[in-house]
Amino acid sequence: MIGLTPERIAEELERYRSRIAEGAQVLTRMGEIEAGVSPRDPVYREDKLTLYRYRPRAAVLRPVPLLIVYALVNRPYMMDLQEDRSMIRGLLDAGLDIYLIDWGYPDAGDRELTLGDYVHRYIGHCVDYLRDRYHRDSIDLLGVCQGGALSLCFASLYPEKIRNLVTMVTPVDFHTPDNLLTHLIRHVDIDLLVDTLGNLPGALLNFAFLSLSPFRLAGQKYVDVVDILDDAEALKNFLRMEKWIFDSPDQAGEAFRQFAKDFFQQNKLVEGNVVIGDRRVNLRDVAMPVLNVYATQDHLVPPAASKALAGCCGSRDYSEFSFRGGHIGIYVSARAQREVPSTIAKWLSAR
Amino acid sequence: MADQNRASSPKPFDADFLFEQARGYLAFGEQISKLAEQFRDDAPKETDWGAVLRQNFARFKTAIAESANGPNADPDLARLWTQTLDVWQQTAASLGVVAPKSGNAESWQSYQRVQGQYLGLLRRSAEAALDLMEQQLRERAAVGKTVDSLRELYNLWVDCNEKTYGQMLRDAEYSELGGRLFNALLRCYSRGETAS
Repeated sequence: MIGLTPERIAEELERYRSRIAEGAQVLTRMGEIEAGVSPRDPVYREDKLTLYRYRPRAAVLRPVPLLIVYALVNRPYMMDLQEDRSMIRGLLDAGLDIYLIDWGYPDAGDRELTLGDYVHRYIGHCVDYLRDRYHRDSIDLLGVCQGGALSLCFASLYPEKIRNLVTMVTPVDFHTPDNLLTHLIRHVDIDLLVDTLGNLPGALLNFAFLSLSPFRLAGQKYVDVVDILDDAEALKNFLRMEKWIFDSPDQAGEAFRQFAKDFFQQNKLVEGNVVIGDRRVNLRDVAMPVLNVYATQDHLVPPAASKALAGCCGSRDYSEFSFRGGHIGIYVSARAQREVPSTIAKWLSAR
Repeated sequence: MADQNRASSPKPFDADFLFEQARGYLAFGEQISKLAEQFRDDAPKETDWGAVLRQNFARFKTAIAESANGPNADPDLARLWTQTLDVWQQTAASLGVVAPKSGNAESWQSYQRVQGQYLGLLRRSAEAALDLMEQQLRERAAVGKTVDSLRELYNLWVDCNEKTYGQMLRDAEYSELGGRLFNALLRCYSRGETAS
């Protein structure tokens, strides 16, 4: 068919079959795939949460610690995937003193955890721990994706505790026309979901993400990987990313209920109607300097969803950094390693 | 509320899933090989090259449509265009939702009906992708470009499916049907139509 003969196709298929056969053996020999490479030490624990401090790599450190609040969805080692693809390492090399909240894996006992627990209690206690440890009134906060939305809530409720706020690929306006996740969740009965399942299983989140691009993410990607089955390094990189993609913690039921309904379905964050615990979140109270980092080709958090922050936060020192890449590329691409940590470090060092 | 004692934890890489997709690619190749044979047989008799392409694509569409059910079912070929449904069914199974023994439970039947509608939507998108692929091949041929490898043709097929699927995904009908499918599954679960 158009340059393709049956003989040529048969030849190509035969070659593919033999690569699969060889590849099956390579895969069984790969062993455990490690991810998360930078040395770190646990400094604070509460329930399933662990606060880590990454061991500094620079001779001179910024005196203000930077606390990273990752999303509840997926695991934070995406920011430290491997030595040559580590946002954390880039920030350490730039002289920052990095702490990260690892939320752990919620189980049935966490079903009743609310966004109030996550924001007032968990983030609050980590922030207070660092304020005490460094004898400072305020620290720097970096929120990633959903963690950025939680960080915005915290910063609006406790502005005196945050010196500078960095948001990365953070949704603020959940109702921009190109927001596919909102589109998918719009008609889901969230109360039925949480009342039925308790926690939201991570497998359902995986389905939602795969269903955005199934022919590439659940098909072509695996057809193509057969080409690298004889390249141990490339295969390890692939498997490391696979591990992260499918390493999806369940979501604590009540926290998910509020996030799905208030943020996704009703877009209350941008409208100033989110109530965390008993306190209303007003983004106008986010008055500290803000750096908003978004990705121009982000299919999960469209740029417009992030850039909406400009119009609703109260900071008079608001900056944006537009990264040319996607939602995953902003952590792991070579361009990200060159551009993102240095931009954040430079912005912080001026404040 | 369902009993949920486990905490999720990282799963090891699912090599079987990789091999399933590889088998799907092989099924695609075998289908294309049949078409290439037909094309070679038909082309000398026809002066209208476009008509031959059209006829062969019509056969491909039939094979795709029959792959998901009926006497000519070919699960490996079906997997090529039912990716979303396959992942969905695996997800549902991981929650413990399986067909009840009697098969008559009202919520299960309702779920099956919605799933049938969802499959119909996916089929329409897959057929539109084949139309698009045919059109793109025709446009390439018009400027003397050829497709020289099976993988190139497969990649074109993926691009076309992503395009038509993406359009479907953004449509209000998909959002509404996807929500109904999810809610119907949850009702099966909440009424105990699940594996123990």
